[in-house]
Amino acid sequence: MIASVLLQGTDGLRAQAEIFNEIFSVFLGLGTLIGVIVVSYMLWNAYKYRDDGSEPKESFDPPVLGELPTGKGGPKAKKLFLSFGLSAIVVISLVVYAYGLLLVVEQGPDAPGVESADMEVDVVGYQFGWEFQYPNGVTTQNTLYVPEDSAIELRVTSRDVWHTFGVTDLRIKSDAIPGDYSETWFTTDGEDLASGEERTHQIECFELCGSGHSYMTGEIVVMDDQDFNTWYDEQAAALENESDGSGAATNGTDSGNGMENATNAMTAQGVEA
Amino acid sequence: MSELPPKTSLRRWFVTTNHKDVGILYTITALFFLIMGGMLALLIRFQLWEPGAQFLSEIAYNEAVTTHGLVMVFWFLSPFGFGFANYFVPLQIGADDLAFPRLNALSYWMYALSGILLGISYFQGGTLSTGWTMYAPLNVPMYTPSLGSTGAILALAMFVIGITASTINFLTTIHHSRAEGMGLMDMPLFTWSILATVYMMLFAFAALLAVALILLSDRILGSIYFSATEGGALLWGHLFWFFGHPEVYIVFFPALGVMLELFQSFSGNRLVGRKWVIIAICLISIQSFLVWTHHMFLTTINLEVKTLMMATSIGISLPFDLVVFSLIYTLIKGRIKFTTPFLFAFGALLLFIVGGITGVFLGAIVLDYEFRGTYWVVAHFHYVMFGGATALFGGIYYWFPKMSGKMYDEFLGKVHFVIFFIGFNAVYFSMFLAWETPRRVFEYDPAFQPMHQFGTIGAVVLGLSFFIMFYNFAKSYVSGPDAPDNPWEYTRTAEWAVSSPPPLENWGGRPSYASGKLEFVSEALTPSDDHDGPAAATDGGHGEGHGDDHIESYPYWDKHASHASIWPFALSLATGIFFFGLSGVSSSIDITTADTLFGTGITVSNPVYPVFTALGLLGIIWTAVKWGLEDFYAPPMEIAERWPFEGVEKVKLGMWFFLASDVIVFGAFISAAVFIRVAAGWYTWEPLTDSLPGLINTFVLLTSSFTVILALVYARRKSRKGLIAYLSATILLGLTFLSIKMWEWHHEIYDVGVTLTQNSHGDPVQATIYYVTTGLHGLHVVIGLLIAGFLLVRAWNGAYQEDPRPVEYFGLYWHFVDIVWVILFPLFYLF
Ligand SMILES: [Cu+2]
Ligand SMILES: [Cu+2]
Repeated sequence: MIASVLLQGTDGLRAQAEIFNEIFSVFLGLGTLIGVIVVSYMLWNAYKYRDDGSEPKESFDPPVLGELPTGKGGPKAKKLFLSFGLSAIVVISLVVYAYGLLLVVEQGPDAPGVESADMEVDVVGYQFGWEFQYPNGVTTQNTLYVPEDSAIELRVTSRDVWHTFGVTDLRIKSDAIPGDYSETWFTTDGEDLASGEERTHQIECFELCGSGHSYMTGEIVVMDDQDFNTWYDEQAAALENESDGSGAATNGTDSGNGMENATNAMTAQGVEA
Repeated sequence: MSELPPKTSLRRWFVTTNHKDVGILYTITALFFLIMGGMLALLIRFQLWEPGAQFLSEIAYNEAVTTHGLVMVFWFLSPFGFGFANYFVPLQIGADDLAFPRLNALSYWMYALSGILLGISYFQGGTLSTGWTMYAPLNVPMYTPSLGSTGAILALAMFVIGITASTINFLTTIHHSRAEGMGLMDMPLFTWSILATVYMMLFAFAALLAVALILLSDRILGSIYFSATEGGALLWGHLFWFFGHPEVYIVFFPALGVMLELFQSFSGNRLVGRKWVIIAICLISIQSFLVWTHHMFLTTINLEVKTLMMATSIGISLPFDLVVFSLIYTLIKGRIKFTTPFLFAFGALLLFIVGGITGVFLGAIVLDYEFRGTYWVVAHFHYVMFGGATALFGGIYYWFPKMSGKMYDEFLGKVHFVIFFIGFNAVYFSMFLAWETPRRVFEYDPAFQPMHQFGTIGAVVLGLSFFIMFYNFAKSYVSGPDAPDNPWEYTRTAEWAVSSPPPLENWGGRPSYASGKLEFVSEALTPSDDHDGPAAATDGGHGEGHGDDHIESYPYWDKHASHASIWPFALSLATGIFFFGLSGVSSSIDITTADTLFGTGITVSNPVYPVFTALGLLGIIWTAVKWGLEDFYAPPMEIAERWPFEGVEKVKLGMWFFLASDVIVFGAFISAAVFIRVAAGWYTWEPLTDSLPGLINTFVLLTSSFTVILALVYARRKSRKGLIAYLSATILLGLTFLSIKMWEWHHEIYDVGVTLTQNSHGDPVQATIYYVTTGLHGLHVVIGLLIAGFLLVRAWNGAYQEDPRPVEYFGLYWHFVDIVWVILFPLFYLF
């Protein structure tokens, strides 16, 4: 069910997917354990103390109608505080543990001791697609091309409504809010790609953004280093030609206003041009 | 005042103000909305049968998702809990009725009619399609232009007005009408959970009201709060979730209260660690306002705030742990009777444990980053909110004998539980298994198709199980055996000490816990044995609010409590008509601006909506006046526990609660202004207007605060002339304030060029904030003047000589409006 994830982080940078999987398995293991214990304890006691029609024990002292409520002290209250104390310890250690790993995720490629990001890309969500703006001015629609073995930083925003950019495979997600840039990052480490080979990850939108929300998908394409450089330079050159020629630097991309049909948004555009 | 017709008469249900009748109305209406929300849920589930299904169109799917959420959260869950609260809180604390019976009926009718408005919105070009969270800027007309979208938000606003009235009513009742000997800590836990709920509601729903008003201003007047790129979208997130997180507990607490009652009633044990459970409930209520940004961890909120909110969010699970353990330990050494009500309460706790544990996952930010917007969240909150509501179904079986006077069929009840429980887990546990699916999407990874299909089958099963319940209740009501007063062996609370169903005025004698247990004192205030009448009254003994003040002309033992009034229904109907009109008014009127006010052209393209708006507004004023003049008597309890508000009279206490919620409304508007200004760069804005008119207005309003005090002083001295003179002075000062305001706006629009959406000095959103915030304050002044006018007319006719309290209550409101201005003045005129 969980698709293949990037588990290796070179350069001392742990991928978000790896951190997520670690915390998730700790929480899932502990949560299941506690859940099973509590639920079985509850069911067992409910069974044990069911009213089976036998004579009540002498110590049984049911409340009477109209009495002012009094709580019960005694051994049960002690038990209550003991279990409460235990649960507090579990919860607080989980917070501390999860917080340590949060700092890793938050710093990402900016953390000391790791190589800084190899590329920064601006991601602009719109109804209904994603635009990627590369440092050299090239833009693509719905497909993000990245080189392998690198750390990529994304600055995510929106040009219309609130979207959420997310890639389940990579365990990354970031809100795309108009007027605001939120950041996330990922690494493209993994099995070496030969020239011509690609690895893809699906992009989905995680915030209801209008009628085409269900179809607001895209792809991250991880390429061989050389292939990527060739592609990147070609795009830059094409961009230059175009701006020389017509003055309009749209790089043959459909800037989004022509997306009447949401399914169109599924196909990468402007790249093969 | 009219007599209350018998239960068989349809008229009774439109005029009744009795808390038990209103409770039944709430319960039945809420079940109706359960069916409506359930149908919408099934539409969603059918769409998920296969990836990319075209069962519904894209927009229809989004509408179903939105209204399913809105209906279930607002129109089903809370009102279902409040049906019980209406019926049983007065009984549990030994009161005759809620503090303000007409206000209670008003709350119900606002609720019921707002639901009809929501239904109508489907036929106004399609309803809202933004999801129930209504994120900005998808919620502005540029992206959701249908009239129905506006209609749905107006319906929500109307619902919130009803909730606010209800909140004030319950707070006043619980603090003012507890039977002798029942301290706050002695209250039954269902009542306790309702008290905590209404405190949260008072503040949370005020924030929702504010955010809905701002949105309506964007949608109807054309202001630009939420489309502003200077933090508009984030502003929505903050304000909505400031409401939204407490809302989770607001819908859960009534269910928790039912669980706490039922675990005791069916195990024969008293609650373990009762005091600590109450403390935990109070802690949760406070803490619930300090965790809202956990819904926004993926925005640009900085790490420090995230860390803090992560700690508070995970920390809020601790008091819940205590409550859960207390419930479990209460069962030990008991004699547990597995009746239908207990099965539902027990099942609810099981489901809540799953919901709680999966919620802790969401508190860890790294996990939340990934879970955000997926079915993990959907599954989790259904386990919490619907899992909690499971206990409410236990509640309806538990109290059905009391409310209807008939026993239900135990076998059918158990069958309902088993099918319900299986269906529930089939739907929502399958969501955990398919959690990587994004929310509100119907084109999903085919790998999850079996899980979603399984969930859909579960949903059908879950839905059908309710028809067993409806059949059971219908059959039992018609031909079931009569219910005894107390069908359950180990109950403690007072509703079981009266007949099933209870008599109209609840008690034979005055309930008292002075001896430590419930007794009915027969020195009740009847004509025969209490001739001292008013002299013995400790609390004024008469009147509730302006309009009821003239009852002092009766010796009060001649007065019977009133139980019928048509005006709550009429006022709600007028409000509904007004809101319906508002939903289409901006699209049926074209205003062309010109250089002068008189050059403004107004063309009405479609008279329907403007006519409804005008009729509704007139109706509101007319019914409000009729309400004020009606002779309606709700006797205050002569002997009651009132800690911590012993010295405070009933209506004044209600007024305080109202003002507390209004503080939050203005607080939200002011926060919005500050938030957007910070996002835009605080020092890039200069005041839009000259400070002089604002300064003069400050003096005018402050002076009017003195005149209103003098009006009260003269009313107390029984000087009709003085009262009339100072009320008139207050009104004149208020009118002066409004005139200066009008002049200022006119000057800004036609001389300076600052309109709602344009700003010749800079940022257009600054102009929006200026007009809307000062406009809201102006609206408060207008309402104040209308009330003052009402008082003046009545004072002219000689009222308030004996009982000047209405003047005092008006004064409280008027001072509040003045204080708000003192805060707005520096914000908009100086800095
Ligand atoms: Cu979307
Ligand atoms: Cu929350």
